Amino acid sequence: MGMFKKISTFFKNKSEKVTILVIGLNNSGKSTIINHFKSPHEQAAITVPTVGFSLEQIRSEGVLFTMVDTSGAWRYRSLWEHHFKNCHGIIYVIDSSDRMRLVVVRDELDTLLQHPDLVNRSIPILLYNNKVDCEDSLSSVKIAAALGLHNIVDKPWHITPSNAVTGEGLEDGVHWLVQQIKSMNSNNKKLKR
Amino acid sequence: MSVNAKWLQVIVDEDEPRPRLNTVTSCMTLCDIKCDNYVRLIAADIALEDEPTATLKIFRGTTLHTELKLNGIPAAVQSFYSDESEPKTPIIAVAIAESVLFFRNLKPYFKYTVPGLGAEELERDLWLKLPTVRVEQQPALVESLRSIERPKMSRKSQKLIQLSQEEQNEFILKYADATVMRHPNIVALGCLERISSDVNPPSHLVIATDNGDILVLEPQSFGLIYQAKTCDYETVPSMIAVHGTYETDFRIVIATRYGGVYLLRKSVKEGQEIFKISHPFTGLMLLPVDQTITVCAMDCRLVCYSKKGKQLYVNKLPALPMCMIPITLPHLGLTLCCVALEGGLVQLYLQRYLVNEFHMVSTIGAMCFGRTGHEDYVLNMVSVEGEIFVKILKRTAAFDPSELLALKGNVESKAMVETILEKSKKSSIFVEQAAREKQNAKTTYGAFQAELWRLRYVAARATVDAINSSESTISGDITHAPVKLSAEVCGIGPEFRLYLTIQNMSSYKMASNLTVLLHADRRHYTLNKSMAKLPSILPGVPLKIDFEIVAVLDPNLKLPPHTLTIENSQIRVMLLKARQTKPLIAAVIAMPQSEANV
Ligand SMILES: Nc1nc2c(ncn2[C@@H]2O[C@H](COP(=O)(O)OP(=O)(O)O)[C@@H](O)[C@H]2O)c(=O)[nH]1
Ligand SMILES: [Mg+2]
Repeated sequence: MGMFKKISTFFKNKSEKVTILVIGLNNSGKSTIINHFKSPHEQAAITVPTVGFSLEQIRSEGVLFTMVDTSGAWRYRSLWEHHFKNCHGIIYVIDSSDRMRLVVVRDELDTLLQHPDLVNRSIPILLYNNKVDCEDSLSSVKIAAALGLHNIVDKPWHITPSNAVTGEGLEDGVHWLVQQIKSMNSNNKKLKR
Repeated sequence: MSVNAKWLQVIVDEDEPRPRLNTVTSCMTLCDIKCDNYVRLIAADIALEDEPTATLKIFRGTTLHTELKLNGIPAAVQSFYSDESEPKTPIIAVAIAESVLFFRNLKPYFKYTVPGLGAEELERDLWLKLPTVRVEQQPALVESLRSIERPKMSRKSQKLIQLSQEEQNEFILKYADATVMRHPNIVALGCLERISSDVNPPSHLVIATDNGDILVLEPQSFGLIYQAKTCDYETVPSMIAVHGTYETDFRIVIATRYGGVYLLRKSVKEGQEIFKISHPFTGLMLLPVDQTITVCAMDCRLVCYSKKGKQLYVNKLPALPMCMIPITLPHLGLTLCCVALEGGLVQLYLQRYLVNEFHMVSTIGAMCFGRTGHEDYVLNMVSVEGEIFVKILKRTAAFDPSELLALKGNVESKAMVETILEKSKKSSIFVEQAAREKQNAKTTYGAFQAELWRLRYVAARATVDAINSSESTISGDITHAPVKLSAEVCGIGPEFRLYLTIQNMSSYKMASNLTVLLHADRRHYTLNKSMAKLPSILPGVPLKIDFEIVAVLDPNLKLPPHTLTIENSQIRVMLLKARQTKPLIAAVIAMPQSEANV
């Protein structure tokens, strides 16, 4: 995947480090998505449920992308918040075919938005409406409505349909996220001057 | 209020077809039937129109996925694993009349029929005669068949007496040679899981039949390996609750249609009555932690009994209970009792404390709790009208009795204030009363003293009751971390050393603010120190503490005082928690006889 090669040219400063937190309920496709971002020879053929969290580092043209792959299992969801402080962007993965748990997706999102480490930050949130290939999957519009995304005004957010198995839609989403982080960085620099 | 924010209600799309389901709690189960880690709700849908029929329905989330026609009305549905081989395929057991049908991958796999019973002698004789007599004489014989009680009649005879006279002869000739057998009907199923490190260990299936038999089937071959009776006389079980494993020890609690509750252990082949109530049961639960039995009945009460049949506490329910299930939350170390009430209220109790409640739009008639889909703690509910509701436990939900207790406490203290009568001291009643008391000073004083003694007596009795009721070595109150006390007496006397070991049995809670108090008869034992404040006890790290006890001996005779007998040579140990009037544990330690000082 040459995706990150392209993205990393956004960053002028070659020693920059970007940490992206990947969260979502268990079985939503987080590990599958991260697997896609890895270089082909590192990719795993199958994903196994993640325990706790694992860090995946992707270095490209001097920019170090750290992807924090978390576990979405019930007892590990409380660990997400430990990563909030040190991340520059959040990828929230949603299994669009799991209608029953949409309330849980919303509850976890609301909890996240109210967390003290995030509440006053304008951190970009990318929502992958994953598993769009499944027969009973919901459209991004419906998901956005169900999650009440329009209520989020202080953080840039973007929802995009994806299929983590084929990789469809993943690039679009990451492109948006990196642009957001980039503009935020340049804003910060301006402020510093 | 935060109390209601413990559950997330699953919203079902308006324009989606909503499946309907008419079922009971015993016919609902959760199972990863497709072996894809997605746990599905499986329930028997019972249609009671002109011809009662039933289908087994498999749901994915709240949408209906598969249907399977059943050839009878099931009494219970259970899912379990039968072997350890991979990939693990769950089995669904459906009890219909006298048989259990086992499904694997949704295909019939095995059928087990409970042992048949011999027919009544009268019935057997009649069936010998029926084919031999002339057709005109048959109706008279059939009529005498009717004198046999219906439940004691074989199915063949039951069919016969339902037929019209014209059809009877043909039926008799056709089935003349068939054996006259009757089979008990299965009324309830249960599962005894094997101890294993595996998350889905194989289970022994427990079957209760309407003649009071309790059967246990082996997991792999479904062979009968244990058979027992509910009690020594004939009774009809209605519900069972099981705990333990078949290999080591198990307990089966059986509630009957006549209000009796019986306890069956592995070592005995006959259950023992532990208590009886006069109203029909609607729910039965055996709490795994402290092995107490909770029942709810049509008298709107939720009652908890010890295994010995002692009533521990009663919760008055605001409406008729429809069904009850245990909600086990291992991450909190709790098992809650979830009761659905008529009118749509669902209440959750932690022991005697109401910890949570919520309203549903209509009365819930059946419930099932456990992992559903990919989520761990899901409450599936079916209303009496047939609608399915799903609630998911919030990750942050905690069930603290003090939360609602604090609310209740406020109400109580308010009531106290209100009962103090407002009465001015200079009112005529006061003046008259003062005058009367002056006149009858002696009797007034006597009455006051008598009442004072009565009050002291009541207080003393309450104290003794409180101490006796916590007489055990494990604390029963699960609102705190459960603690276990064990004692050891060392020495030959007159100086003894008492070693107490206090262990925190919980897996996550700290046991703090504890005090040990020793109590002994001063004439018999001298305690230098009778009280000790304990540091906080962490789970898994037992705390050892020792006390010196000196037996009192006559200085001349070197013998203990004559008032000391074997029965009263004991020391009471109480484990107290700060700000709690009732001791957590009260134990009695029998002291050995003291040797003379050498
Ligand atoms: N059909 C389909 N399956 C997916 C998709 N994304 C992930 N999966 C499957 O979902 C399962 C769980 O994925 P995984 O990445 O382990 O989820 P995680 O728990 O969020 O890390 C795997 O079996 C994936 O193959 C998708 O877009 N479409
Ligand atoms: Mg994962």
